[in-house]
Order: sequence, then C-alpha cells, then structure tokens
Amino acid sequence: MEAYIFNLVNLIAIYAILAVTLNFIMGYAGIYSLAHAVFFGLGAYTSAWVAQNVHPSILLTIPAAMMAAAALSLLLALPALRVRGEYFVAASLGLQVLAVTIFSEWKSFTGGIGGVLAIPPANVFGIEVFKPAHFAILSVVALVIVMALINALVHSSFGRNLRAIHDSESAAASFGKNVPMIKTISVVISAALAAVAGALYASYLSFINVESFTLDASVLVMAMVIIGGTGTVAGPIVGAALLMLLPSLISWFDFLPQTEIGALQQIIYGLGMTLLMIFRPGGIVGRRAKA
Amino acid sequence: MNMTASANDAPLMQIRNLDKSFGGVKAVDDVSMDLRAGIVTTLVGPNGAGKTTFFNLITGNLTRDGGQVTWLGRDTAGMKPYRIARAGVGRTYQDLRLFDGMTVWENVLNATEHGAFPVPISRAHRIARRERIERVLERTCLADKRNTRAIDLAYAERKFLSMARIMATEAKLWLLDEPASGLDPNSYERFLAILREDVAEGVTVCIIEHNLDIVIGISDRIAFLDRGRLLADGDPHTVMNDPELAKIYFGDRE
Amino acid sequence: MLAIQLAITGLQTGALYALTAVGFSLIFGSTRIFHFAHGATFVIAAYFFYGVFGAGLGLLPSIAAAGLGAVAFGVLLDRLVYAPIQRHEGSFFTVFVASFGVGIVVQNLIGMVFGRGFVTVNTPLSRSVEMIPGVYVSPLAWIAILCTAIFLGALQFFLRRTHTGMALRALADNPELVRTFGLNPRMIAATAFAVGSVLVVPAAIITSATTGLNPAIGHHVMLISLAATIVGGIGSVSGTMLAGLLLGLAESLALLVVDSQWTEAVTFAILFAFIIIRPAGLLGRATAH
Repeated sequence: MEAYIFNLVNLIAIYAILAVTLNFIMGYAGIYSLAHAVFFGLGAYTSAWVAQNVHPSILLTIPAAMMAAAALSLLLALPALRVRGEYFVAASLGLQVLAVTIFSEWKSFTGGIGGVLAIPPANVFGIEVFKPAHFAILSVVALVIVMALINALVHSSFGRNLRAIHDSESAAASFGKNVPMIKTISVVISAALAAVAGALYASYLSFINVESFTLDASVLVMAMVIIGGTGTVAGPIVGAALLMLLPSLISWFDFLPQTEIGALQQIIYGLGMTLLMIFRPGGIVGRRAKA
Repeated sequence: MNMTASANDAPLMQIRNLDKSFGGVKAVDDVSMDLRAGIVTTLVGPNGAGKTTFFNLITGNLTRDGGQVTWLGRDTAGMKPYRIARAGVGRTYQDLRLFDGMTVWENVLNATEHGAFPVPISRAHRIARRERIERVLERTCLADKRNTRAIDLAYAERKFLSMARIMATEAKLWLLDEPASGLDPNSYERFLAILREDVAEGVTVCIIEHNLDIVIGISDRIAFLDRGRLLADGDPHTVMNDPELAKIYFGDRE
Repeated sequence: MLAIQLAITGLQTGALYALTAVGFSLIFGSTRIFHFAHGATFVIAAYFFYGVFGAGLGLLPSIAAAGLGAVAFGVLLDRLVYAPIQRHEGSFFTVFVASFGVGIVVQNLIGMVFGRGFVTVNTPLSRSVEMIPGVYVSPLAWIAILCTAIFLGALQFFLRRTHTGMALRALADNPELVRTFGLNPRMIAATAFAVGSVLVVPAAIITSATTGLNPAIGHHVMLISLAATIVGGIGSVSGTMLAGLLLGLAESLALLVVDSQWTEAVTFAILFAFIIIRPAGLLGRATAH
C-alpha cells in the first residue's frame, strides 16, 4: 500500500512537471503545443543514455536532457513561431508524429520498440535513489523547483511580456516587443524543463519505451492543464493529480468494463475538455469567464 | 526631452507616395505628408477613408504596396513593427488592445520594458522608472486603480490606460487612433489637458479624430483623407471651412 | 516501373488527401473555427460505412449511413459546441480545445465499439489488375480519382456559381460584409460544416477499402489536413487541393528512397519547408498582422 501511494506520488509529480511546463507556454504565451511528450521522451532517452554510458549522477543526466530538448525545441519554434498560432499547432503535431517514428526506429539510442532497459537509478551526490518513497523526495523537490522557477519567470519582465503577447500580440509589438523571439524563448524554456520530467521518469522506472511518448501522452498532458485551469498556478497540479488518479478511480467502479480503462479515461477527459470549454473555459481552478 | 526649436528643419517622419490596396480597392492612395517635431496633425475624413490603414502602414503593421516612409532620416522599409516602435514611433489602437489580464500598473510598466530577456536593472533606474509610472498614473487619474486588472476598468478608464501606456514610453511620435471617442465632457477636458502638456514637452502627435472640437482645439494642422486620397493638408480653419470637404465629411454622417 | 506504380498510388492517395483537406480548409477558411474534430468526422464516416457494409446491408445504405453520420456530426458539433462557445468568447484556443476533446471521445468510443485494431472492407474492387507489365492498379484507384474530380468540381461550382457558395467565400474575407448582405452567418457556418463534412465521406469510404482503418486514423487525417491547408495557403481552397495531391504523391514517391514508416516524415518535411520558405503557402496571400 505504501509503495503504491509513493509510486502514485512520483508519477503525479513527474506529470505535474510536464503540466506546469506546458501551462507556461499555453497559459501565459498562448502557444498550443501537441509535442510536449517529444521533449519528455527526448529528455528520458538522453538521460538514460548518459546514465548508462557516462554516469548516473543527476548533475549530468538532467542538464544533458535539458540541453537536448532545448536544442530540438529551438529547431521547431524558430521557424514555426514567426507566423500565426495555427502553424505551431500543425508543426508540433507533425513533430510528435515524426518523433514516434524516430523513437521506434533509432535503435542505438532508444532501443527501438523494445525500449531502453536497466537504466541505473538516479544518483544524487553519490547516493543511489531507487525506493519509491525516497524517490518521492527527489520528484517532489524537482516539481517545487520547476514551479518556483516558472513562477519567478512569470512575474519578471519576461513573464509580463508573455502575458502582454497573450492579450494582444499587435499591441505588444507596438511597445517594442520582439514577439517571435519572446515566444521562441518561452518554448525553449518549457521544453528544457519538460526534459527534467523525462530524466526523472527514466531513472525512476529504469525502463522506458516509445509507448510513454506518443501523441496520446501529449494529449494527456494538455488535458491536465486545461482541466485544471490554464494560466493558473495550481491548475496544472490539480489536473495532473486528477487525471493520474482517474484510472484507479475507474477500476474502483466494478460495473465499468475494466478492460477498457484506458479508453474510458480518455473519454472522460475528452468530454471534460469539451464541456469545460463550453461552460467554464478557465478550468477547475480558473476564475469564471466574465459574462 | 525638451526640444528647442530644432536647428535643422528636417521632418521627423517623411511619407512619400504611400500606396496600399486590398483586393483591388485602394485604401491608401499616393499619400505624401511630413510629420514635424512638436506639431499636432489631425487626420480627418469619413469612415473608411483609410486613416487607420495609414497608421498601420507607417508602424509596419501592414506592408506598403508602394511609396517611402523615412523616420529620422532612415527608410523604414522592411522594418518590423517592434523595431519601428523601438525607434520611437508609438501608437494606440482604436479598439485599445489593452493587456486585459494584467493590472493597470503592469500594463504601464510593461510598456517601458523592451527586452526579450529579464535583464537586471540598476536601482537608480528602477526608482526613476517607478516615479515615471507614478506620474503617468497621477496624470491619467489611474493611481487608485493600479492593482485593478485592465479588463475590470470602466470605459473611460480604459481609454486613459491606453494613453498611459504610450505616455510611459519614450516615443517621440504618438499616433493616436480616436483616443477621445466616447469620452464624457469632463474626461475629455482632462484628455486635452494631458495632450497639451505632452506636446509642450516636445512630443509630436498625429491623431485620428472625429470630434471637431478636438480637431479645432488642438490641431496645428489638418490632413483630410477620403477614399485613401489626401484631399487637403493645411491649417485647421482653412481645411474645415472648405465647403467641398465639409460636404464629403458631413455627407457621410447622415 | 516502380516509379509509375508509385505515382499512380500517390495520385490515388493524393486525391483522397485533397478531398479531406479541402473539407477542413473550407470550414476553417470561412468560419475561422479550428475544427480539429475534422479527423473524427472522417473516423465516423469510415466506421459507419464499415459497420453497415459489414452487416451485409449493401453498398448504397452503407454510403448513405457514412454521409448522414458525417454531416450530422459536423453540423451538430457546430450547433452544440462551437456556437455556444463563440457566443461568449470563442478564442482560437477555446474552440480548438473543445474540438480536440470531441475528437478524443469519438476515437475511443469507436475503439470500444469496433476494436482498436486495423480493419479493412474487402470488395472485389480492391483487387489490383495488371495494367501494363509490372504495374498493378486496383479499380478503386480510378474510383478515388474520379470521385475526387466530381466532388471538387461540384464544390467549385457551388463556391463560384451559387449565392450561398459566394457568401461562404465572402465570409472568409470579411464577416461584416456577409451581415450587410443580409445573410445569417450562423446559417452559412452550418452550410460550411455540412459541405466540409460531406467532402470527407468518399475519402473515408475508399480508405476503408484500400489502406484500412483504425480509430486513431483521425490524427493522421488532421495532420494531412493541417499540412495541406498551410502548404496550400490558408483560405485558398484550390491551394489546399493542390497541396493534398502534392502530399499524397510525395509520400508515395518517397518510397523509392525510404521505408514506409517514414511517409509521415515526408509530410512533416514538406510542411516544415513551407513554414520556413513560403509561410503564405502555394496560393495564399501574404498574411498581415
């Protein structure tokens, strides 16, 4: 039971990092990415590779993961953000689909469909962390750091610029804001921090494969942000916790077809997204839309 | 900031043969105009005359089909709106485009922050900036509302916030798109007073306005646009007393 | 020989892509609604056909079921989801998320009813015939190309010659204009959804008999539709048509050099190249802010 709860804590913390970082671009900059799982995955594979081939210290695995994701996101954002918002949605969807193929084919780096096995546990200043209870400290601390970082950013001049762009791109430009540049930087920051979640995920499970980094995963994270409340501090955390608990909740109700838990989960959050947009676009935590 | 009677008479902005059409319809048609330091120019003309399009062309929000715009002697062709803004051309929008989710204070503060990166600024600079914003908020009577989100302001307050944002910048040229429309007489007097003060401090203003009191009251010069063409450009009384123009202008309003 | 074979297959794929993408492009261009559930429309049409045909009810009822399913889904979605959202604000984001949510629900419901695996409708028409030595073409390829020509021809007629069609195009340019003409924008939006949804029906049916279906195919459909809309130029129906053909041909001809799992990479490469080099698309006007 205890292991079960800590396992859940770890997964919620890791997905909350993803949700918080996606919320940073969705909620504050108004950029809708369907490729968040790509940066999650790239972070996981990169840190797994570093842990196996160099050293499992998180001082190496996490920065390496962040740099890889930052570089890839720069390649995506630089051209796609020069034009209208719809282009980024399309380009990120394309990248997500392409990334799944690459993750399944690039056997030397990702182990193909089979994935990467026997990833060494996280090494924090010489201590190996593998028990869920101990790892929970690591994952929650990481979540808190990521949140603090993003909170500081949002309240800096950079964050004000993002929010200004969100409210009116043309007005922001009229006040001297280099809109594509600011958006690109925000995407790079978001991707790099999402890779932190990837690095934690790889060392926590010690096994990763492409299944965790598909379009479904990107959609799941987006649902967490939206259902919790886009552009709020607590929203993504609430959303992550809620959607991670959903499968256990479904299995609690015997009358539901237990072989369809995955599908039921997706139907519930799909429906949740649509209904919230009609009746309460701010999400669970967000304030009600002005009448 | 104070501008002495400038030694060289070169206009701040020089506009030559500006052209723009949308789907075959000429929105701005061969317009030439000089905007000189310290002069208030008012653009008048019926709705759809191309006044806002004219602003969008000189701020880079739209790309021109033909013609030339120079700002401080430099051709602005190909410059992005944010570059033109940084070079000292500020503007407001008819539909305001406030940063609705941000507070009054943040709106004005953000107008002064250009850089993409959060660069640490010196204490002296920060204090000077805060004083500048305080003063702007005092003058626009928004000081009490500093922590109110822009979206929660009343109509007149929103109009003044739009002015406050541009007042906080260091723009040399203000392009104001119907800044006083819909204001009650009191607010409207306040608006005129603000504008006069800033003009006295050396700001150059180009303003789109329908209200004839403003037009006569503050303009040094009136430019009359109709269907994209500049029909007249001269001192207020001459232009407004031209019977031909009056016919075009008032004919539209019935 | 292989090149000819692939070119013909590419033409068939491209024709179906063009139909599907034009549906999305028409809806997006005229209503500005980012109809991400367009992929779900495709899934519904395809599985309705598969279900009714599989039950042995014959070809015509199956086609009717697919058509009715798609149109009803599109129009109801507009009425029940997009219209209420647009009444209170209707930002790009809200509409996109709502549409996305619907897509997820449809994908999983279809998956629960029909299973998540690949299914194909078998007809004698899918069997390939040797046209010239070494080149095999199934009659369905010709049907696909013919259907596309007919549907897109009819669409052009509708957009250029009928009152409603012209209003649809005007709506894309200037929503105010439509109101001054005394037309009801909501009515026109409903028409856009009906027409846009009908266009995917032949593509969905033919796909079910050729490459096959799975419930997640909606994402692929969306990627193609988005890519073709952008590559063709937002707001240009003819551009989207051309781009759809181009994407189909490119995917197929790419098989000369790469393995089949990389076909989507080809789509992505073309999309990305256009975003970098020509963001306005093949036939699009330069977008101004």
